[in-house]
Amino acid sequence: MSAPEPEREWVIRFLDDLRAAEAASAEVLAAWIAVCALDGLRGGLRVIAEREAAHAELLAERLGEMGVRPSAQLAEPVRAAAVERFGSAQVSDEQKLALFLARYPDDAAATRPIADVLERLDQDLETREILRLVAEGETATVAWLRAYHAGLVRPALAPRG
Amino acid sequence: MLRPLPGSEPARVLGLLDAFQAAEWAGAEAIGRWIVACADVRLRGGLRVIRARDRRHAALAEARLRSLGGVPGARPSRDLAALCGVVADPGVSDRSKLALLLGRLPAGEDARLGELVRGAQGDAETQALLETIVDDERASLRWLRRMRDALEREGA
Repeated sequence: MSAPEPEREWVIRFLDDLRAAEAASAEVLAAWIAVCALDGLRGGLRVIAEREAAHAELLAERLGEMGVRPSAQLAEPVRAAAVERFGSAQVSDEQKLALFLARYPDDAAATRPIADVLERLDQDLETREILRLVAEGETATVAWLRAYHAGLVRPALAPRG
Repeated sequence: MLRPLPGSEPARVLGLLDAFQAAEWAGAEAIGRWIVACADVRLRGGLRVIRARDRRHAALAEARLRSLGGVPGARPSRDLAALCGVVADPGVSDRSKLALLLGRLPAGEDARLGELVRGAQGDAETQALLETIVDDERASLRWLRRMRDALEREGA
């Protein structure tokens, strides 16, 4: 039976993958902001995009401190398709919200991979606390977008007098 | 440039954004200096996230202020400047900084953050911007309280 992978190895891989995902997410959100037709949504997206970019920057910085050059990248067709769809003025904001939220059936779904890592990470405590706050940011993002989406849909569901 | 009349709704939003960006820049700078002197790796990790967010909040508020025709000119209040001085001081322990920081924020801090958001009523983009920023601020406060409790339990 092979020995378990040392913590440092799997932590580095996780941080790099998460960094790549957060950087791509910031890019997709920037494309959405550029065509977003709803003032309130645009305001929230601006903060969420910066949140994702801050996470990517912090994770890259942490990898650098561990002596690792970040190298993970989202598959180009996946990234390009997301930028195209969320940056399209032909797709409504409501459709984009529904598309995003379909990936996360509940607020915790966005942070499950990070929560799993937090359970196992017991040597690198600085990274653990960075990830804990990154996870809280992700939860806040999903919760805010879900609440905004519910507000958009609610008037349509209300009985008409 | 046309300037909004003092006391009018746009003037209120500009003033709110200006004060907020000044406070966030000051907070980010003080936390940056705390990080350098911080003795606890867990605390340092979280402070790094909080500083990164505060910087971006400041930049977002400043950008919004400029897009509305305002010019940043506010300075942090004397009270905040004094608090930042302690937070940045390498001679003050981490526990003392946490106690001071969280002690200065009354139990009604949540209400104050809510007021910040309500202050931008009438400007949907600014209001959503602040609402989402406030989510980060609440998460930071929750995490700082947990760290304070952990350090107190450990007697650090």
